[in-house]
Parts: sequence; structure tokens; C-alpha cells
Amino acid sequence: MTGLPPPRVGPTPPVGALPPPVTPMLQGMIAVNAVSKFFGSVVAVSDVSFAIDQGVTALLGPNGAGKSTLFRMLCGLTPPSRGTVEVLGANPRTDRDVRGRVSLVPQQDALFDHLSASEFLEFAARSHAVADPDGAARHALELVDLTEVGSKPVGQFSKGMRQRVKVAAALVNDPEVLILDEPLAGLDPVQRRHMITLFHRLGDDGRCVLVSSHVLDEVAKIGSRVLVIAQGRLVASGDYRDLRELMDDRAHRIRLAASDPRKLATALVERGLVSGLSIDDRNVMVDTLDVDAFGRQVAALSVELGVRLTEVAPLDDDLESVFRYLVEGR
Amino acid sequence: MVPVTDRPRRHVAPTAAVALSYRVVLRQLTSRSRIIGLSLLALVAPISAFALGSADASLDDSVRLIASVGLGLVLPVVALVFAGAAIGDLRDDKTLVYLWLRPMDRWPIVVGAALAAGTLAAPITMAPIVLAAALTGAGNGIVVATLLATVVGLVAYVALFTLFGVWLKRFIVWGLAYILIWEGFIAQAGAGVARIALRKYTRSVLVERTGADLDLADFSLAMAVIVPIVVAFAALAVAAWRLSNQDID
Repeated sequence: MTGLPPPRVGPTPPVGALPPPVTPMLQGMIAVNAVSKFFGSVVAVSDVSFAIDQGVTALLGPNGAGKSTLFRMLCGLTPPSRGTVEVLGANPRTDRDVRGRVSLVPQQDALFDHLSASEFLEFAARSHAVADPDGAARHALELVDLTEVGSKPVGQFSKGMRQRVKVAAALVNDPEVLILDEPLAGLDPVQRRHMITLFHRLGDDGRCVLVSSHVLDEVAKIGSRVLVIAQGRLVASGDYRDLRELMDDRAHRIRLAASDPRKLATALVERGLVSGLSIDDRNVMVDTLDVDAFGRQVAALSVELGVRLTEVAPLDDDLESVFRYLVEGR
Repeated sequence: MVPVTDRPRRHVAPTAAVALSYRVVLRQLTSRSRIIGLSLLALVAPISAFALGSADASLDDSVRLIASVGLGLVLPVVALVFAGAAIGDLRDDKTLVYLWLRPMDRWPIVVGAALAAGTLAAPITMAPIVLAAALTGAGNGIVVATLLATVVGLVAYVALFTLFGVWLKRFIVWGLAYILIWEGFIAQAGAGVARIALRKYTRSVLVERTGADLDLADFSLAMAVIVPIVVAFAALAVAAWRLSNQDID
């Protein structure tokens, strides 16, 4: 299986009186099957299933949604209360070998502060039994652009530099699966761009790169393949543009900039092309349930009316809109 | 980057894992304030012994001082601070993941951490406690006995408190409760309870080697040496099992 399964939106349909269908186990570099995690009476992750393969996938969710708990289970740091987690075909909690093929960038800002960046990375390489730990450490420092400060103790680093050290430490073993929990936190815009480029390169090399974030803008840049988690449940998975298309019950919002917005708006209502609209001096904001029909007819209509149409801009096919719909229901 | 195809499987050999854990924990534990504070605490033993030696105290009094201040207070407290923190601090500051999530067994992590704690605790405890024994002026017998009892006690306490650090979030509180309440109070109540207090074994070493008269110290020398060593191995084994099975942040 390559990549995410076809897009899926919304919670699992309720099961009736019939016995539940036998669901085939998902397969992939990371395969999560019906996983739940409870901490006492608190449900941190609830019945989550997905499988992903090589490439970059973003895990999106608000703070407290269960992203870090899910990541901890993917790395074997905590076992699922129910369900199974497989990484590279093995249980990451019990299989020693698989731990050498997976890397985690943890969310917490924890490093061995007394070590220099080079020493920390060399330690990371040795703890992965890398053949040339010095070389691997140097290469990882280059990848995150920290070569010049490699001899300084990481305790003296800024938050952004520490973040880059954590990413470098996760790369020293040349992992097949890379799990990054909020890796862009604390980075400046240039470094963010650099990191996102690096993630894509790693994904293109055949690695499975799973990146979490609660910042929509970041996720849109990280990749179009998303897993959306809210309140411990996987509420959507797939390409977020496809997800938007699947939200049939929700009108698309489009902004039209026109020389005579009032005239255009009147015609749109008369033709039944919109379900709602608002007008200001230059723009018409329209809601339409049939975006394809609207797209086909609006240009012809403006020509017919003699109205100059200068902009047609969809306002809600971005990730933020998808996320708002899935998580907040609006 | 090497393409992801047919890569060799790697894992860290146990000896290398012990060395890695030892190195990183040793540096993590080496803080000036901790070493100075514990060294000052350890000085209580030779200062008390000097005062006792100046007053021409008996062998029994000298052994009692070494048993109570040196082996009953300085040794376990210093061992607790280093051994509890060996893995406890890594877990608390969330750096344990950098050892735990690696292709290596978990027992070498525990062994390396305990060795690092022992490396720091040994000079801070052994030198002042043995010096204290010498300063009592009770002869060479008490010095040799103190050295042996300190080594045995150090091994057992370091292993036990390494387990505390792995298992318990407030390892210092629990460790002090063990030292002060269990060993210092409850275990004094009778021979039966005292059997499950390490202090009884170190006291027995002192008594067996010096012939002094001391309460709750009636084990043979072999028993007094072997049981703490067995306890140490058991504690490290349980710590390794616990480390493998616990949740890591």
C-alpha cells in the first residue's frame, strides 16, 4: 500500500444490530489498527486506524488532541490500551531492531545540556550503532545548518537551535521512519523553510516522514497528505484538497471582484447559481453548493452582463477551512 | 543520504551500551553543587569520629559511631542522591528517551547508570567513612572492617536506589523514608524486621570483623556480604525489567 487510503471524513458510522464487518488489517511502513489509549478514565486516543508509507504526511490537530500520545505509541514509548501499532512490520515497543530504523524528534525541549552539539550527535550515532559516528554527526550538523556552532554546549543554544539539534539527532541513524512531534516550534521563517525542504527530501528518498503540528499554515507547507485528529479521534485522512471536495453538505465560498458587483450578484441569484451572497464596493462573496456549475457559468454570465470580472478566488479550499469544518464543525 | 533499501540491521552490543549509559549518566550527575553538598554531609563522619577519638572511646562506641553515622546515614544518603538521580533525573527531564529508544537492551542502561552513580558515590563515602574509622583510634581492625562494610553497603544501596529512581517519581522522598523511617526506626524494633534492612548487614560486617558488641548485627560475615550482593543483583534486574515495561515521556 502506498500513501494514505482514500480520503475519509467524519467519525465511523454507528454499528447496528448486525455483527461488525471484519476489517482487514491495514498495512504500511506505519500501520495503526483500531488503537485506543486510556490514562485512567481519560481517553487520549480513541479507535484510530491508518496506514502510511513513504513520503511526508502531516498529523494535524489542536493542542491536546492526542498527537503526542499517538506518536509515543508509534515509537513504543507507551503501549496502546487497545489495538495494534506496527512500524516496519514490527511492534516498536518490543522489537529491538526496529528501534534502530526509526527516529523520533520529541516535542519536549530536552537535551543533554552539558554536551556540545557535536558530542550529543556523536552520542546519538553511537547509541544507534552507526559505523562512523563522527562522520554521521558531522553530516547531521550540516543538514540542519549548525556546523559552525557544533562545539558549543547545547545548554547555551536558543530554542530554535535546540530544535535543530533534535532533528539532527534523529537523522544520524539514517532512519527509514522519521516521526517529528512539532519540529518547527521555535524556528525562524528561514529555518522553517529549510526544515520543510529537508522533510520533503527525506520523503522523496523513500522514508516515511510523519510530522505533527497544530499550526495550519505549517501543515499546508509540510504536505498535502494529512491525518486530522481531534479529541483523540481520527476525523479525516487523505489529501486535504480531496477532503474539501468530500464536504458536499457545505457550501463553497468564493470571492468575485467585478466592475459592477451588484449587477452580477442579481444575475447570480436569478440563475440560482448561489445559495447565499454578500456585496461590498468591489466584491461579491458567494456561497455555492455546485462549484463546478458555478465555475462554468460565471465567466459567461459576466460577459453577457457586460461586467468586467477581475478575480475569482475560492476562500475555503485551504487547510484551515477543512480543519475548522472537521474539528469545530463550522 | 543512503537510499532506504536492504540496510543492515544494527544493534548496540551490551558492553557498548553500558559504556554509553555510564558516560552520559556520569556527566549528567556531575554537578558541582551536588558534589560539594554531599561531601560536606560526609564530613560529619570524620568530625564525629575525631571528637570520639579525642575522648578515648571504647571499641564498641567507635563501631557504633561508624555504624550509625557513616554506614547508617552518610553512605545511604549519598548513594540515594546519586543512584536515584542516575535514571530518575533522565526520566524527570525527559532525556531518557535518547537511551530508551535505541536498538539496545535495557539492562545495560541500568547497569551503566548504577556504575556511574557508584563511581561518584564511592570517593565521597568511602574516604570520609574509612577516615572516620581511623580517627576513632580503635585500631586497624575497625578500619578494615569499615572499608569492607562500606563497599558492601555501597554496592547494595546504589543498586537499590537505582531501582527507586527507575520506579518511583519521588525517589528522594521514598529513599529518605526508607533510610530514616524503615532502617532508622522500624527496623530497630526487632531482629525479624531488621532482616529486610541493609543496615543490619553492614553492621554485621563491622561486628564480625571487630568483635564489637552491637545490637541487630548477628549475621555471619558470609551472610552479611552475600545477601547485600544478591539484593544488588535483584534490584538491578527488577530495575531493568521495570525500565523495559514502563511508559517513557
